[in-house]
Amino acid sequence: MKLIFTGIVAGLLATTAAKAEEMVFTSWGGTTQEAQTKSWAEPFTAASGIKVLQDGPTDYGKLKAMVDAGSVNWDVVDVEMDFAIKAAKDGLLEPIDFAAVPKADLDPRFTTDHAVGSFYYSFVLAWNKGAVSGEPAGWADMFDTKKFPGKRTFYKWSAPGVIEIALLADGVPADKLYPLDLDRAFKKLDTIKSDIVWWSGGAESQQLIASGEAAFGQLWNGRVFALQHDEADVGVSWNQNLTAADVLVVPKGAKNKDAAMKFLAAASSPAGQAEFAASSGYAPVNTKAKAEMAADVVKSLPDAHVDGQINLDMNYWAEHRDEIATRWYAWQAK
Amino acid sequence: MPAGFNSLLPALVLIVLFFVVPVLALLLRSVTEPEPGLQNYATLLGDGTYARVFFNTFLVAAVVTAVTVVVAFPVAWMLAIMPSALASIIFGVIILSMWTNLLTRTYAWMVLLQRTGVINRALLAIGIIDQPLPLINNLTGVTIGMVYIMLPFMILPLVGTLRAIDPMTLRAAALCGASPIQAFRRILLPLSLPGLAAGGLMVFVMSLGYFVTPALLGGTSNMMLAEMIAQMIQSLLNWGLGSAAAFILLVVIMALYALQLRLVGARRMTGGI
Repeated sequence: MKLIFTGIVAGLLATTAAKAEEMVFTSWGGTTQEAQTKSWAEPFTAASGIKVLQDGPTDYGKLKAMVDAGSVNWDVVDVEMDFAIKAAKDGLLEPIDFAAVPKADLDPRFTTDHAVGSFYYSFVLAWNKGAVSGEPAGWADMFDTKKFPGKRTFYKWSAPGVIEIALLADGVPADKLYPLDLDRAFKKLDTIKSDIVWWSGGAESQQLIASGEAAFGQLWNGRVFALQHDEADVGVSWNQNLTAADVLVVPKGAKNKDAAMKFLAAASSPAGQAEFAASSGYAPVNTKAKAEMAADVVKSLPDAHVDGQINLDMNYWAEHRDEIATRWYAWQAK
Repeated sequence: MPAGFNSLLPALVLIVLFFVVPVLALLLRSVTEPEPGLQNYATLLGDGTYARVFFNTFLVAAVVTAVTVVVAFPVAWMLAIMPSALASIIFGVIILSMWTNLLTRTYAWMVLLQRTGVINRALLAIGIIDQPLPLINNLTGVTIGMVYIMLPFMILPLVGTLRAIDPMTLRAAALCGASPIQAFRRILLPLSLPGLAAGGLMVFVMSLGYFVTPALLGGTSNMMLAEMIAQMIQSLLNWGLGSAAAFILLVVIMALYALQLRLVGARRMTGGI
């Protein structure tokens, strides 16, 4: 009996000891998280001995619930940048310890007191060449159902992107997008509403375009990159591509904060960013990363298409997130 | 204290702990977040969008229940009068579909129903249609997907009730000169009402709270309450509003249940299953 008891205690001690060397990374699943595991977590574990457990998908409700309940199981979370700005304001995030995370080479557009960049991406116009005759040249063509008939697919959730696309298509100049004219955007979207199929995740967007279920749509450039890599017959227009970023955050009260900061340093390092960019098609947030990348990879990234590129305004979105979301979902449900 | 109360105690504690307490917490949250008051309920009941989502939810649940009844009745009748060895094989097939993962089944419907899906391709190939039928991202898709999932919940209670009906009553009706339609309307249908009511209520209530199938097979314009609640909780992080919506749904369902108890009686209702 005593032996069993000792065994249990020893076992418990062993688990606690192992826990100190563990942390949990949460992201969106699919090809993106696979690339993050391969480019960041595996080399990080090899170098530091800290085991990285993968969890997902990112769920803002869950994150808030963990912080509110004081029982935080996630140490590093990949989130959309506008959410990160809002969440920091609401006290849901730990400040980044920039003594542990070198800041000098990080792109300041994607670095805040409570977040370091994960990667940045562009929304691009992609189409199935078998389902579209001709080549759509820009967002305006997605609203021209006569010239380009067929279903078009857009991102379902309220997030930076679709509103801006509607305004650009309606003739708003890129530098006059903000503050967003929501009435005008929804009026423009009304003109094609019955032709829209919504995608709610990256894999779905790929499936819709590859099968021709939707003739064309607004996709993350990394997802198009993966489709073309698999030799799907897909065209892409970078005209007026819209950049936005994912960032890495540490939820308030994370149990392995020190390990989390070390992980952030590794993930945002030139090597980690270069490796991730090569396997995902998303752009690095570390300005030194490109020096470590192959020339053809650099060419396929969003920052090779800065001509006509538009930065979605994350600060504007963070401030108006709830207001836009309420109107967005109300419009969708109509 | 009534006799046998002590042996009931563990069950009561369990129900209070895991049902009553969370529901009260939900109610509390709905009237305290973001600030104390009834503003969440005022928002939900006063806004056209939410009213439309409530209406959609009931519409979808009603359509699904009606179609399920129509499809389930002949199947249940066949099972009730069939030799029992054959019936148990068919039961097995029906139950087997319930054991298959819900998401898998819903994705299977997506593959069948989409514009480039199996059904549309087949119909296009044999020339019955020249444009793909809109079978998905609308009420049609939701109805097909949900009826398929709900069928066992209708068939099982219905078979119980139908088996209890003496087949001689139908023969007697025929001998007295009733047409088959008359016999169905005046004998079989009234006698099967308890099973229909039990199954119908179960299907209706389950449909009211459904999430996965409407989210995947429906369009945004037939959004149902469960999806809206998920948006409020996950995307807007407005837990007060989400809790209020969930509480309204719960109250409606309880009210329906109470109504059902009055109409059919608790004994007859559960007796069917």
